Amino acid sequence: MLHAVRTAYYDSSEEIPEIPANEGLRSPLGPRALPQDLRERMRSARELLGKTERELLPTGLPVLDRLLDGGLPRGELVEVVGGRSSGRFSLVLEVLAATTRAGEPAALIDLGDHLDPARAEAAGADLSRLLWVRPRTVEQALAATEMLLGAGFPLAVVDLGLPPVRGGRGIEAGWLRLARAAAARGAALLVSAPYRASGTAAAAVVELDRGNARWLRSGSSPVLFAGLGGRLALEKRRGGAAGQSAEIAWRSAECLAPPAPPAPIVQPERFFERPRLAASA
Amino acid sequence: MSRKSDADRSRLACLFVPLFPLAARLRSEPELIREALAILEGNGQAARVVAATRAARAAGVRPGLSLPQARALCPKLAVRARDATSERAAEEALIEVADAFSPRVESARDGTVFLDLDGIPHASLRGAAAVDPAALERALGQDLAAAADAAGLPARVGIASSKLAARVAAGLPGSPVIVPAGEEAAFLAPLPLARLAPQVDLSATLERWGVRSIGDFARLPSAEVASRLGRSGSELHTVARGLDPHPLVPREPPPTFEEGMSLEWPLATIEPFLFIGRAALERLTRRLESAGLACLRLELDLALEPEGNLRRSIELPAPSRDVKTLLSLIRLDLEANPPGAPVIGFVFRSHPDRPREAQLSLLGPAALSPDRLAATLARLFALLGPERVGSPRPTDGHRPERAALVAFAPPPPPLVRERAAERQGRGLLGVRALRPPLPLEVITEGPGPNANPEAASNAAPARPIEVRPVVGGAGEDAVRRLEIRGGVRVAAGPWALEEGWWTDDPADREYWDVELFGGSVYRLFRDRTTGDWFADGIYD
Repeated sequence: MLHAVRTAYYDSSEEIPEIPANEGLRSPLGPRALPQDLRERMRSARELLGKTERELLPTGLPVLDRLLDGGLPRGELVEVVGGRSSGRFSLVLEVLAATTRAGEPAALIDLGDHLDPARAEAAGADLSRLLWVRPRTVEQALAATEMLLGAGFPLAVVDLGLPPVRGGRGIEAGWLRLARAAAARGAALLVSAPYRASGTAAAAVVELDRGNARWLRSGSSPVLFAGLGGRLALEKRRGGAAGQSAEIAWRSAECLAPPAPPAPIVQPERFFERPRLAASA
Repeated sequence: MSRKSDADRSRLACLFVPLFPLAARLRSEPELIREALAILEGNGQAARVVAATRAARAAGVRPGLSLPQARALCPKLAVRARDATSERAAEEALIEVADAFSPRVESARDGTVFLDLDGIPHASLRGAAAVDPAALERALGQDLAAAADAAGLPARVGIASSKLAARVAAGLPGSPVIVPAGEEAAFLAPLPLARLAPQVDLSATLERWGVRSIGDFARLPSAEVASRLGRSGSELHTVARGLDPHPLVPREPPPTFEEGMSLEWPLATIEPFLFIGRAALERLTRRLESAGLACLRLELDLALEPEGNLRRSIELPAPSRDVKTLLSLIRLDLEANPPGAPVIGFVFRSHPDRPREAQLSLLGPAALSPDRLAATLARLFALLGPERVGSPRPTDGHRPERAALVAFAPPPPPLVRERAAERQGRGLLGVRALRPPLPLEVITEGPGPNANPEAASNAAPARPIEVRPVVGGAGEDAVRRLEIRGGVRVAAGPWALEEGWWTDDPADREYWDVELFGGSVYRLFRDRTTGDWFADGIYD
């Protein structure tokens, strides 16, 4: 067959002229002639060779992006830990919304079966790009996540639901395996758990502390739930300093108050300490 | 056909697999190819050898022997029964080989396939200006034989202007044998009459007449032959003169693809079955691949011992050709519902569909590979069940615990990646839906749930002040596990939700947002028809 194809366009005895090098590609006009948008994405081979910069997946939350130096690192496992009403599920929805809105598919492994599609849509998610998987146990969740990472999903979010987690914390080896699968595929893996679950597999751990619930009331009018406050703190950072924290505010979908501007990042006073919220929270 | 000039006569190729029952068996069990193996037809004492491998033939085993006779000649002879299932699959595979060369293909059973070669060996295709048509046909014949070889069937090829001459040519050694147009009768004449495979009684009669070759027979006057040998003799005479009694009848491609085999021993465990099944699935997917198709539904027919049949149908979420996935789906299906009896034969039937294709983008985000996605979805279906995997959709109505699932088929990614700044989120508070809503005991102040609803609607609503699990209720365990209990710090509400009053399952609810002293914020509702309280969400 190959022989037939080859002889179709040249004869074995024929002299074949060399293809002349295209000078135009080397001229200074080359990449500069491209639009700005395109030029930013172009890298020379030499630049790429020494490049160790990690690819990031923006989360849609400026506070979290700044804590993680730009977003979820692709190819690594990031764990968010938070109790009830800490805003952990809202964070998951924001990350899913940001990714699907950018046209990338995402998978939510929802152990507690907690997703309300209408809320996810309100948060801005493109549901057609979201795969919703509802395992019954942690083992199933781990197996499903590994399959999804293998299928090439650029973002997989594992939400372990409310405490106590069905089936325990999962086996640490399982989380390490997932972290390796994510690294092999260059996928961002976000684990949302009520308490630390992924152990040493996590490249970064963000802890969410519950803040005060905000209620609106003026005079004798009915009380209105306006949202939740909270604090994000970087508990662990592989290859970087941890301890920074920032306030975050979640507004209720029913409340029409404008979103609060992102709060500044607070640096830790000493290495192992970070500011805690008031005891009343 | 004879009215056309020789140059106009259409050319036919015959693809013929000698010792077809053996070839079909060896396609399923290639490790037996060097053994002394005989294929037997019939039961018990009546079983006769129909084909044997080269090692067995060297020992003297030939068609027609009984098993004891064959064993006496070759003590180490391995024996297999004729297997209709693998023969059917091999037949299909042979037809598909022919399909790759010509759109007009006729299957003549028992490892014989005819192809219409009209317009195929065109000189321009092979890059040479003027080539001898015989050389072209020879090259085509070699390609055909090589393609059949790749499908696991050692075929011989004959090319002629009539079906019969092509079939006889294919039976000769030195494949491919080319019979030039118009020389069919001359080609057939010197060959022994046995090449036409006449019926046993006819051949005895002809031998008594002294007719040895096809040419001798063709020279007899046809009317006399018809009056003495009857209809079958007349047909054989037509054939001997090089005339086709039947024109080529092209077949319709099958809507399904089948592979399978009958087993020598019944299998009672799943591992050996999957081992054999894997090879059959590989053959099936190779055939699907050659047709550019993929499997959308896999049917599994199991023949059980001592009697009975079991048919299973496995739906795939998207067309797939991944053997590993198909095999794990079969395993999960059989493990979930074991057949209950040993398996003595099986057929995999694939209902094909076009595989999904994706357009890659240079600057936008990468799309998922449709093949890999289909395989993954199939495995997730097998792991969790189809009702737990899909793309979420909001449903009509306001009950938050309701959700719909549709098949996950993401649209193609945008051509250019969005900038990070455009990705900023809305910072909306999410709610964890509790499915099903958890029953609670809620202490209220103000008019109680037993108060007259007419009166209660005008007065201040009953405000929750404490939440605790319902003792002995259906969801008590879940509520205790999630620790939904405590005094209410702030309660906001009520908001009414009423929908579906015209259906069997109406909702008439009074919603409250409630912050407990522990700090968690819940969404509770009171069912206004029964007065029961439920938690259906946690703000988180």
